[in-house]
Amino acid sequence: MTAPKALEGLRVLDLAGPFGNYAGKMFAGLGADVILVEPPQGAPSRGIGPFLDDRPGPDRSIRFAYENLGKRGIVLDLETAEGRDAFLDLAAASDLVLESFGPGELERLGLTGDVLRQRNPALVLSRLSAFGQTGPFAQYKAEDLTLLAMGGLLFLGGYPGEAPVAAGGGQAVLCGNLFAAVACMVALTGAEMTGEGQDIDTSIQESVVMALENAVQFYDLEGTVRQRYAGDQRQAGAGTFDCADGQVYLLAGGVAATKFWINTRQWMADVGADGAEVLFGDEWFGIPFLRTRGAKDQFRRTFESYARSQTRAELYAEAQRRRVPLAPVNGPADLKDNKQLQFREFFVSVANALPGTDLLMPGAPYRLEATPWVAGDPAPALGEHTEEVLATLAGAADQPTRRAKA
Amino acid sequence: MTGRPLEGIRVADFCWIGAGSYTTKILSDMGAEVIKIESNAQLDSLRVAPPFKDGIKGVDRSGYFADRNSSKKSLTINMKHPDAREAILRLIRKSDLVTNNFTPGVMERFGLGYEELKAVNPKIIWMGMSMQGQEGPEKSYLGYGLTIGALTGLHWVSGLPGKEPAGTGTNYPDHIPNPCHAAFAALAALRHVRRTGQGQKIDVAQTEPMIAMLGPEVTAANLRGNRPPQGNRQRDVAPHGVYPVAGEDRWLAIVVRDDREWAALCEVLGVPEEGRFRTADQRMTHRDALDDAIAAHTRDRDGYDLMAALQGRGVACGVVQTAADVTDRDEQLRHRNHWQRMVTEGVGEMLYNAPPYRFSRSPSTLRGPAPKLGEHTAEIATDLLELDEDVVRDQSEGRLLY
Repeated sequence: MTAPKALEGLRVLDLAGPFGNYAGKMFAGLGADVILVEPPQGAPSRGIGPFLDDRPGPDRSIRFAYENLGKRGIVLDLETAEGRDAFLDLAAASDLVLESFGPGELERLGLTGDVLRQRNPALVLSRLSAFGQTGPFAQYKAEDLTLLAMGGLLFLGGYPGEAPVAAGGGQAVLCGNLFAAVACMVALTGAEMTGEGQDIDTSIQESVVMALENAVQFYDLEGTVRQRYAGDQRQAGAGTFDCADGQVYLLAGGVAATKFWINTRQWMADVGADGAEVLFGDEWFGIPFLRTRGAKDQFRRTFESYARSQTRAELYAEAQRRRVPLAPVNGPADLKDNKQLQFREFFVSVANALPGTDLLMPGAPYRLEATPWVAGDPAPALGEHTEEVLATLAGAADQPTRRAKA
Repeated sequence: MTGRPLEGIRVADFCWIGAGSYTTKILSDMGAEVIKIESNAQLDSLRVAPPFKDGIKGVDRSGYFADRNSSKKSLTINMKHPDAREAILRLIRKSDLVTNNFTPGVMERFGLGYEELKAVNPKIIWMGMSMQGQEGPEKSYLGYGLTIGALTGLHWVSGLPGKEPAGTGTNYPDHIPNPCHAAFAALAALRHVRRTGQGQKIDVAQTEPMIAMLGPEVTAANLRGNRPPQGNRQRDVAPHGVYPVAGEDRWLAIVVRDDREWAALCEVLGVPEEGRFRTADQRMTHRDALDDAIAAHTRDRDGYDLMAALQGRGVACGVVQTAADVTDRDEQLRHRNHWQRMVTEGVGEMLYNAPPYRFSRSPSTLRGPAPKLGEHTAEIATDLLELDEDVVRDQSEGRLLY
C-alpha cells in the first residue's frame, strides 16, 4: 500500500515564467497534482543552467529537471483565444495557480484572479515578481544578482575592500519561490476552511530582505551599518581555516561563545598546538580583544599548526566529539559522501531525469513520517501530457468547486 | 475572508534562537496562536543578543529577538520541575502543532517525544528542526547557520576563484531556507489532519533544505565534480557583475543579456561601442576588459541616478543596498509597507519585517510585537494549562512557572 500524501487531491497549475518553478516543486513533492503549463517555445527555465556538458538545449537544463521533478507538463499558447479558454477550464478545476510573468501580464491576457474565481471562487492565485505587482520599481527589469543587490544581502557577502560577492545558485529567486509557496499554503488553508480564494503578491526583493539577519536592527537601534568580512575571521576563532585537504569553518566565538571557546582552547592544548597556552588568558573572553588583528593572527597560527596535519573529516569528527561547532567546507560534489545524508537516503537517483541521462539529485527537504515526500516522475518533455490533461480535465471543469475539507 | 487564514491553529512552540523562531513567526503573523515556551532558567539566547533598544541590555530589549518573535505569546515554565510535563500535556491536548529545534533527545528527556504526545492527542503534529535530523550517525552534531552553510556547499559556491570561500556573510540557512521549508511542511501536515484526523512527526534536518536550495549545482557537481566558484559572473553571459559607483563602498549590479541592452548601456554610460564588445560571444571572450571598461564609466556616477537611467532603457540593474538603504531609502519597500514599528510596553518602539507577501483579502501586516518574557504566563497557565490560582500566583523559589 502506498503511503497517503499530505497534498493529495490538490491541483496546481504552474505557469512557466521567468522566476522558475521551485514553488511548484514543493507542492509536487508532497503529492499535489502539479501541471507545468509551458508556452509553445518552452519554459524559460529550460534555458537556465547548469546544463549537461555545459551545452544549452531545451532538454539539457539540470535546473529545469530539478525544479520540475514530479510534475506533468502541457503546452498552452495563452496568446490565443483557444489557449486562454483551455486555461480557464483548467483553472476552474484547480486549487492553485502559480505565475511569475510580471505585473500587467495576466491583466493583458484577461486572466486575472477575479476572472478565474468567477468559475472557481476558492482558487488561490500566486503572483511572484521581482518587486511586487505595484509600486515605483514594479516595472524594473531584474536578475537574481540585481535582486540580491536591492534586497541588501549582496552587500554583506564577499571580501572587505573589494566588490561584494553574490551567494551562488540563484538564491534571490529561490527565496521568492519559498515565501510564495508558504503564502500559498496559508491562503489554501483559508480557502479550504471558507471556500474563498484570493490573490497573493510576493516580492522577490522583499523576500531577500528577510535574510538580513540583525543588520537592519543594528542600523535602526545603533546606527551602525554592518559590513562584509569574508577572508578574515569575524573575531578570533570564527571563520575559515586551512587543513590538510581543504578548509573547515569554525565558530568558537559567536552565539553562546563561552563554552565553545573553553572546549576549543582545551582541544588545542590536548593536541599540543603551537601556542595553545596563550589562548588560556582571560582576555580571550572579551569581544573587543577577539576583534584585534593580534588575536586573530595568534589564533590562526595556533589552530592551523594543528589543523594542517588533519583532514576535514578528521577535524569534523573530533570537533563534534568535543562539542565545538566546526564543519568541513564542502564542495557540492562532496555531499553525496556525507555519512549522515547517506543514512537518511537524502539523495534520489532519477532515471531519465533528462532524456537519456540519469541524475543524482537532492531529495526530501523534510521527512513527514505519515505522508512522505516523493520524487515522482522526471520533469516532463515539452507538451508530454497535453492531450491526457486536456481530455481528463475538460469534463471536470463545470463540476462544483472541489473542496479538500473533510 | 476578513480574518487571518491561520486563525484557530494553536502552536506549542519550544523553538529558540534561529531557524525555529523564524518558522513560527511565519505562522503567528498569519493568525496562528503561537505560545513560545520559555524559562528564566535558560533564556532564549537571542533575548540577550544585541542590538538593544537604547543600547540598554535587557530580556525584552533585543531588536533581533523582537523581529523573530512578532505576534507570539510567551509562557515561562521550568521544564525541570516535576509538574511541568503534566501541565504541558494539557496544552498539547489543545494544540495542533508542537515545534522544537533542539538536539535530538531533548524533547524525549522532557517526556514530550512524538509517541508520548500522540498518546494524549492523536491529531498532534510534532516537528523537530535539529541540525542533522532525528536519526543517524551524526544526529547529535551541533552547528549554526554559518557552519551549515559550509557543510552544505553554500560557502563553496559563493566566493571568488582562488580565494577563501565567502558564503553570504550571514547565517543564511536560518533565515529563509529552513524556516520556509519547515513552515510549508507544517501547513501541509495540518491539511492532512483536517482531511484524515491523522497527526504525524515531521523531521527537518537543517542541512537538507539548504542543499535543496543548491539542487541544480549539487546535481551538476554529482556528474562532473567540484568547480571553483564564479564570483558574480555567469558562465553564459557578460557583463554580469557589480561595478563601482560614486561614494565609499558603493556599487551597482548590472546584467546585460542581448545586443539591444548592450547598446542602451553604452549610450547611458557614454562608453564607445567598441568592435571587440559587439556581439555576446565577443563580450564573453573579452570579459575582463569589458568589466574594466564599464567600471571606468560607472565609477563617478551616482548609483541611484544611474539605476534609474539604465532601467529607463530596459537594462537590468540594481544598487547594492546597505541595511540603511533598505530601511530608510528604498521607495518600493516603503510602498509595500515592509517595515513596521511596534511598541513593547515599558521598552518602546522597535522595527519589524512584515512578511514579503500581500494577500488580496486577508491582512498581511503583523499582529503585534514580540512578547515580553513571560508576558502571557498567567493567562495561559489558567486557561490552557488548567493550573490552580495558587500555582499561577506562586512566587517562591523553585516554582513551576519560572
